[in-house]
Amino acid sequence: MSETTPLSLDLKRMIIDTLELEDITPDDIDYHAPLFGEGLGLDSIDALELGLALQKRYGVKLDAEAEDTRRHFASLAALEALVEDRRAD
Amino acid sequence: MQHRSALKLAFSLRLPKNMEQLRLSDWLGWRPGEHNASAHSRLLPYEKPGRSLPTMLRRRLDNAGRATCDILAALDPMARFPLVHASRHGDADHTLAMLKALAGNELPSPTRFSMSVHNATLGVHAIANQHRRPLQAIGAGGNEFEALLWEAFGYLHAGHDAVVIVFSEGELPDEYAPCTSHPGVACSVGLRLTLGNGLEILSELHPQAPTSPTPLEVIDWLIDATCHWAIEEA
Repeated sequence: MSETTPLSLDLKRMIIDTLELEDITPDDIDYHAPLFGEGLGLDSIDALELGLALQKRYGVKLDAEAEDTRRHFASLAALEALVEDRRAD
Repeated sequence: MQHRSALKLAFSLRLPKNMEQLRLSDWLGWRPGEHNASAHSRLLPYEKPGRSLPTMLRRRLDNAGRATCDILAALDPMARFPLVHASRHGDADHTLAMLKALAGNELPSPTRFSMSVHNATLGVHAIANQHRRPLQAIGAGGNEFEALLWEAFGYLHAGHDAVVIVFSEGELPDEYAPCTSHPGVACSVGLRLTLGNGLEILSELHPQAPTSPTPLEVIDWLIDATCHWAIEEA
């Protein structure tokens, strides 16, 4: 797993497309930076949208109430680790 | 300087008895195909509206919503006045996409669901501009302009110095075209109204005049009716 895997690029494109991030390219998303608040600046509605996209694209289902969901959304690196671990294909 | 400035309303509307107290202090419009500065001084001079919004908020609105926010920001730059927004159909494009997802047994987009309320555009504007005064969103089955004038009149008589009303329509999905009237393009128009300085708005009822103007018709009326007077800058 690293910043340049096909999966990390796929996740970046998914984030940009589903969250309609105008003027942002995959290169603008820092692999280790926070996705929410600081860093990319996503908000709570984006978290729901991202959860739905992960479910549709990778079959990864997250419990919105679970404590570790917050950890999985911490950065692109954490998100990639989650998908590697739980993808249903 | 004009001492007797007045606008003759080109629509047949049912309005308050003391309507002649209402004054237009400024207005702005946005419509496709009018994107250069020379088109008209009161039309937004660019094709892609949304300059008043940070990128992360702008992405959630369609072009009519973005133009509406730009107009509100320009007519109420200090976030001091009550704002009333009317749209007959709202963001029908995104609402229909959400309904299609539901009909296809898919989960609708949380973002679209959160933005599907009629006051979403005003909410985005208020967040972006830290506006904490009254906000009101109206749908009135085609009588939006009339409803906006009534609401403005009420706020002004309650003691507010000015009210900004804005009337917009987004693009209408093809599926809805045979079912309702629509200006045919996305458009938005805003007016800052007062009981003090500005152009008097005269309402002379003509039976043949349109009773349910669209934002485009309001823009046409304002361009035509204000052509002889320079609007006083507030």
